[in-house]
Amino acid sequence: MTATSLFVIIGKIMGAIIIAFLGVVIGLFYKGIDRKLAARMQARVGPPIRQPFLDFFKLMIKENIVPQNAVPWIFNGAPILSLVTSITILFYLPVGNIPPLLSGYGDIILIIYLLTLPAVGMIIGGFVSGSPYASVGAQREMVMMMSYELPLVTTVIALGWKLSQVYPQSNVFSLATMNAHPIWESVGPFGFIGAILLFFALAIVTPGELSKIPFDAPEAETELAGGLLVEYSGRNLALFELTDAVKMIVMTSLTVILFFPYNIAHLFALNGVFAFIIDSLFFFVKLVLVMFFEVTFIRVAAARLKIDQVSYAYWVPISLIGLLGLTFIVLDTIIV
Amino acid sequence: MSKMTYSVPIGPVHPSLKEPMTFNFKIYGEHIEEVCLAPGDNHRGIEFMGMQRNPVQIIYLAERICGICSASHPFAFCKAVENAAGIEVPERGQYIRVIIAELERIHSHILWAGVAAHELGFDSVLYLSWKAREVVLDTLEILSGNRINYGIFMIGGVRRDISTEQVSAIRKTINYYREVYGKIEDIFLNDPTIALRTKKVGILTEEDALRLCAVGPTARASGIKKDVRQDQPYSAYADLKVKAITPDVFTGEVNGDVYDRIVVRLLELVQSLEIIEQCLDNLPSGEIVAEKKLVKLLNQLKRVKGRGVGRHEAPRGECIHSVKLEEAETPEVWKARAPTYNNLMTWVPMLLGQQIADIPIVIASIDPCIACMDRVTILNKDTGQKNVLTKKDLHELSVQKTRRITP
Amino acid sequence: MATPMGFELLKQLFKKPATNVFPVTYYPESVLELLEKVEKGEVKIHPPVEIPKNFRGKIVYDRDKCIGCKLCLKVCPSNAIEFIPDTKKIKIHVDHCIFCSQCNDICPKDCLNMSEEFLIAATDKSSPDLIVE
Repeated sequence: MTATSLFVIIGKIMGAIIIAFLGVVIGLFYKGIDRKLAARMQARVGPPIRQPFLDFFKLMIKENIVPQNAVPWIFNGAPILSLVTSITILFYLPVGNIPPLLSGYGDIILIIYLLTLPAVGMIIGGFVSGSPYASVGAQREMVMMMSYELPLVTTVIALGWKLSQVYPQSNVFSLATMNAHPIWESVGPFGFIGAILLFFALAIVTPGELSKIPFDAPEAETELAGGLLVEYSGRNLALFELTDAVKMIVMTSLTVILFFPYNIAHLFALNGVFAFIIDSLFFFVKLVLVMFFEVTFIRVAAARLKIDQVSYAYWVPISLIGLLGLTFIVLDTIIV
Repeated sequence: MSKMTYSVPIGPVHPSLKEPMTFNFKIYGEHIEEVCLAPGDNHRGIEFMGMQRNPVQIIYLAERICGICSASHPFAFCKAVENAAGIEVPERGQYIRVIIAELERIHSHILWAGVAAHELGFDSVLYLSWKAREVVLDTLEILSGNRINYGIFMIGGVRRDISTEQVSAIRKTINYYREVYGKIEDIFLNDPTIALRTKKVGILTEEDALRLCAVGPTARASGIKKDVRQDQPYSAYADLKVKAITPDVFTGEVNGDVYDRIVVRLLELVQSLEIIEQCLDNLPSGEIVAEKKLVKLLNQLKRVKGRGVGRHEAPRGECIHSVKLEEAETPEVWKARAPTYNNLMTWVPMLLGQQIADIPIVIASIDPCIACMDRVTILNKDTGQKNVLTKKDLHELSVQKTRRITP
Repeated sequence: MATPMGFELLKQLFKKPATNVFPVTYYPESVLELLEKVEKGEVKIHPPVEIPKNFRGKIVYDRDKCIGCKLCLKVCPSNAIEFIPDTKKIKIHVDHCIFCSQCNDICPKDCLNMSEEFLIAATDKSSPDLIVE
């Protein structure tokens, strides 16, 4: 092994640690913003923005209770699995101009697989909790996973296929490519409508992926008292909270990268470090906006759906919208 | 093949329940196969406490049977004592009683709307409706000096008069609710997610409602025109011609589902506003209470021998108090029956065949008040074990008691 | 979410919250420290909501007027009033009081009244603040 490759590996490890740390901190910060915005819409003052941090630290000093019926090592391992996998996704996400840490090692297909893993972790944790509430929650989470996968994949495939038509020589599923070529620039009027439909499909998948109202049937506070998480406490619950925060960043970033990858640094004729900073900041502003419309607003403006309604909503209307979007994109390419 | 069911307990403490009550469900997949209610977690022995106090003290105890019906219980209790003692309430007192009772109905129905929305996971509606509820609470505070537990009822009338300033305050409140009502109705009845969760959910057929003796909005939503204010008009209601509201007024049909119960409660909100307005327009002058001197009243009640029954249409349905006075300082018997007691068993037909997700909203849909309802718990003193009495046992016990008291 | 609620929520986002932020907007690090600071005048707290006329607050007792007739004991639903036979005066335990003001109505000498004071929370049931005599 040469010295340079060793240096690269150490660099990557350092980068991974920094990204994991930043991802968690920014995730919690966004959660604070989300709660504040939701509160203001509901005519409340809301908690201070640092509240998720306080919650996290408080949970960390609380007792970690493992129920009698649970299988301890799986019960304790599930939150770690969830958190680790969700942080792993962060390594594949570009931020503004900054390429992802592991660019070239994985693409959006990998991300789609990785996205299921935090949910799988929660399902395992729910089933081994040995509580009927958690079991029902885990069953619901499984149904949800099966339901939102189709529209999510449809969206990604449609965008990838379009890019493959326009830029045949590049690796179309790589996030760097998607980040460099916004979908809106490579489509005609038909494709534009298609892209809007696909964006809509992804926007509806996001709250499902994050288990937020109206798609929070697995956690359903008033029915299942927290569902999957009902038996979790202390450190394990804190890890699930972090997973939730990181997943929110991941899902909103995905929307930004797929649909709004624009940067503004060149408008100010900046380059070098300043361009990086401005673009990154702009990226985070975009995240807030996307989060507001995809998570916060939908969450406060709807009632919780039943699991059969969730399943129906994803399999029929949202899938249809996704497929329609796909059709429009294909039509666009064929006609033009 | 037999169905593999599993059991899910809801309660005594559960986020969907605002008060302690136990439900045992047998669930197949997501569907409810069997419901078993086990009340008795919230028995406070209020009637026993009441039987050691004089009627004036009991008014405040009756007020605290339920935090939300804190006008309905004293109303029914005062009527029961007046019935036993033959006290006639002056007209102005009767009108003020009705105004307070209707203001309470507004507050209770808005509170219920918020709770129901919360059970659906729609917290924004909870905050919006409870924001609107503050206004009526403030009005009640202006009238009675307290937001809840008004302490305004007195045997033979009311304790506080309504001044002209207070009348204008009430009128302002009515105008506020007329403005806000459109918004609340729009949100509740036109929201697609609420409709998805409440239509065709928790259906109570008219036959079931009649068979299980449902009362109040629960019965009316199933199409039964049953309202004490209409059937046996009392106080100022006799002058006002109140009509029981069924959901077909609004939707044109009666389904008896949760949505219909929302409709009925919202329409009753408007009805209450109209009743209050009419009361204010026709507010008679004169005394507000039959006997102003409390000492005299207490002495009068001490000499009464007889039974009395008081009925009142509480926001949740008919509330009955029965009193037996035996020429003593304290009543010999005081029995309260809250509307939830009647509506309790309607949960079973409503919940059977529904999903787990429907449990909170169906439970909330009858607007249960467990603290009102829990009147009797049978405990074995030696073992500390709770017993369940069947209809047969109860019948036997009552026969025994009748023999005992009428030799 | 183009529902009636959706528009309402977006409008509300730009309005002031309805919450009454009494006594402070956010929960303080330490309540006792906050109380100390308020006493010293370093921190200002938001005023509570206004109370209407004839509000039923902490009871006020005019000891000199009292004739010791014990009528108030008779109507108090929560047995909050204690009669001291030596002095022929009463002692009111505010921790028992339910603020019904029934004793005010029955008092022949009008020596019991309801004040407008309602911030009477205490950690000790028998603290001198909660006993009126």
